[in-house]
Amino acid sequence: MKTLWTAAALCAFALPATAETFRWAGTTDPNTMDPHAGNSAPVLGFLNNVYEGLVRRDRDMQIEPALATAWEPIGEGEGWRFTLREGVTFHDGAEFTAEDVVFSYERASSPESDTASWFSGVTEVTAPDDYTVEIRTSAPNPIFPDSIANWMIMDKGWAEANDVTRPNIERGNFATLNTNGTGAYRITERDPGLKTTLAPFENWWGEDRGNVTEGIFTPIDNSATAVAALLSGEVDMINPVPVQDADRLDQADGVELKRGVEARVMMFGFSQDKDTLVGGDGSVEGNPFQDPLVRRAVAQAINVPAILQTIMRGSAEPAAQLVSPAMSGYSEGLSERPELDIEAAKALLAEAGYPDGFRFLLKCPNDRYINDESVCQATVAMLAQIGLEAQLDAIPVRNYWTELRADEYDMYLLGWSPGTFDAEHPFRFLVHTPQENIGTWNFGGYSNTRVDELIPAVQSEIDPEARQAMLDEIAGIVQDDMVYVPLYVQPLLWGAAENIDLTQREDNFFILRWTNVN
Amino acid sequence: MLAYIIRRVGQSILVLLFTGLVAFSMFSFVGDPIDNMLGQERTQADVERLRTELGLDQPFVVQYYKFLEQAVQGNFGLSYRQGRPVGEILLERAPATLELAFVSGLMALAGGIGFGIFTAIRRRGLPANAIMTVSLIGVSLPTFLIGILLIYVFSVELGWLPSFGRGEVTQIGGWSTGFLTASGLKALILPAITLGLYQMTLIMRLVRTEMLEVLRMDYIRFARARGIRERAINFRHALKNTLVPVITITGLQLGSIIAFAIITETVFQWPGVGLLFINAIQFVDIPVMAAYLMMISVMFVGINLIVDMLYFAIDPRLRADRTAGGH
Repeated sequence: MKTLWTAAALCAFALPATAETFRWAGTTDPNTMDPHAGNSAPVLGFLNNVYEGLVRRDRDMQIEPALATAWEPIGEGEGWRFTLREGVTFHDGAEFTAEDVVFSYERASSPESDTASWFSGVTEVTAPDDYTVEIRTSAPNPIFPDSIANWMIMDKGWAEANDVTRPNIERGNFATLNTNGTGAYRITERDPGLKTTLAPFENWWGEDRGNVTEGIFTPIDNSATAVAALLSGEVDMINPVPVQDADRLDQADGVELKRGVEARVMMFGFSQDKDTLVGGDGSVEGNPFQDPLVRRAVAQAINVPAILQTIMRGSAEPAAQLVSPAMSGYSEGLSERPELDIEAAKALLAEAGYPDGFRFLLKCPNDRYINDESVCQATVAMLAQIGLEAQLDAIPVRNYWTELRADEYDMYLLGWSPGTFDAEHPFRFLVHTPQENIGTWNFGGYSNTRVDELIPAVQSEIDPEARQAMLDEIAGIVQDDMVYVPLYVQPLLWGAAENIDLTQREDNFFILRWTNVN
Repeated sequence: MLAYIIRRVGQSILVLLFTGLVAFSMFSFVGDPIDNMLGQERTQADVERLRTELGLDQPFVVQYYKFLEQAVQGNFGLSYRQGRPVGEILLERAPATLELAFVSGLMALAGGIGFGIFTAIRRRGLPANAIMTVSLIGVSLPTFLIGILLIYVFSVELGWLPSFGRGEVTQIGGWSTGFLTASGLKALILPAITLGLYQMTLIMRLVRTEMLEVLRMDYIRFARARGIRERAINFRHALKNTLVPVITITGLQLGSIIAFAIITETVFQWPGVGLLFINAIQFVDIPVMAAYLMMISVMFVGINLIVDMLYFAIDPRLRADRTAGGH
């Protein structure tokens, strides 16, 4: 026993005087530690602390050099040439070279990977020398460097030694639980669903690192428990804070509420390719939502300021487009939301031939977005004022997409966060005519030849002004046709102890190296 | 005897197969695992490839048959969420649930019997009435509310006990125990109370009623008349006869403690099999859900089987019925 105490005492002295432990909790545990096997915010956000890409996003979401120090277009938009950083090592000590980048491209773009779509236009990746990588694309791709900020580089040797040269989503492999990145932190312990511990990587190439010497992440799915853990000082940060607890945390001693605006825009979508209503009562012919006038009437009947004030408790911003104003490619001239005007909405319905309104099915998730079900309930009441009788069906998200894909809705709630932080992203997924690889989230089946023409053109336009003009044109068409009714930009609510300095990035990624314990 | 056991085991297996079938057919309503496993930029081809790979394109009877075939060999498949064998994950998580169930069961038993005796012997005093009133609250408040209340009082306001997790654990072989560290023991208190409160009130009320019943019996009155001391009457003569039904109920309740641990584990982020199951539902991790449900039904069916056989061994009337050809 005595030796045990001595050992414990020695351990206590052996720690550096400045050891700062930082504990944080989130609702979702990343389901994999393999950066190419998961393309979701929890996975990519967490792994941004461990792995790095050629480029990364700074505190304001701008692209900055990471494993590449510079990049330039090859010829007239044939692709991009990246100059790599020298003297970078992986956590296991292996040197980082162009070979690892080529390997990571092959791995991340393989059919087994969940990130393959980032590389759909890439034809070839070569390494002319150890510190240069050339990525060739089939068409000019001006935002390619922006689109690969979350493409993380893995060590070729490590992957081969551990037999993980391809990700395995369905079965898992060594890389599902183990990591070897170049990032500021390395994982020292991983208990899926329970706890993940991080320690600083001493040989990290970068500067600008906070003072956290041990980071412990614990998933806590029950938000009441998470708030209690923060209030009792057992964790230093929680994300997210439930909207209804925000005011309480604001007033509590010792903790601070960090408010921000997320990149995610909430909107309503409509069934537009079906000829009848799923939830209709037969009082009207056909599908009224095919008529832009009806969709505009819906937009004018929804009192977004009231939703923001009561349901979001003043923590969100209204939205007019499919992206928030902070994203690149946002159309400045189209920032007006249709104003709340019940009489005008009724007039629009009458003009469209539905003076008495009609009945339809409104589908919503009840556990996906912040207060999603409440927003839909409020909407039902607001639409009733213009005679639209919405039957609300709020279901868990694990069934939601399946039912939307099965066309079990007339109107639905959707939130979209553009992975590239560019306006082209939602257009590609939400507005283009649905096909095999494009328009995959356009459940309503909206189709417009001009839009379909413009989207590929935007993707390959190098001139920023010409590109913006095309984006503006698409945004204008989308707004005129009222393809979606944008509502608001979802708030980011983090709770942290007062002695913590941290940075809230708009993509809801938590970056440990920007954290200081005071 | 042997024929009875064989028949009873046969029935149990049928029950297991049936519950498994019902559970398995329900999974098609729980949602689609593919959406959780792939990101928003996946294509239809990715979805179909993964669906085939996981065997989800097959009719559920085929899926169930494959599951059973594997399960019989002790293989419960791989978790969709963690990419590791489900059996391994369940074994990792089982100690947390078993320790919690054990402690709360013990607490319920000790508290229940103690308070039960007390309220039976001193039926009319203020303390007994107070205990009875509190016990009513214990029965009627939902578990999660009790948990949140305890967290609010003892973690947030007083700062005495942790609000979540299991504290530090020690590994002994494959078993992780929280009994050997101060933080582990502290972490046990609130969840154990939350989980055990309902059982405790149940046992308490049972003991009290039984005890009052027994105390009215003739042999107690004779004992009193013979001048035996009150203490000896209460604890030697009355209590012994009270405990028989209590033990039966407690045995049966142990199963439900483990099954009901789901709610307590969710409130306290207790890393047991219950929490694993809840997370599995959110992620539509079918192999984990299936294995957990099978495990729980095996447990209940097993307990019932043992109880039945014990009755058979104890109660001669059952055997007499059988030899006489039954009804």
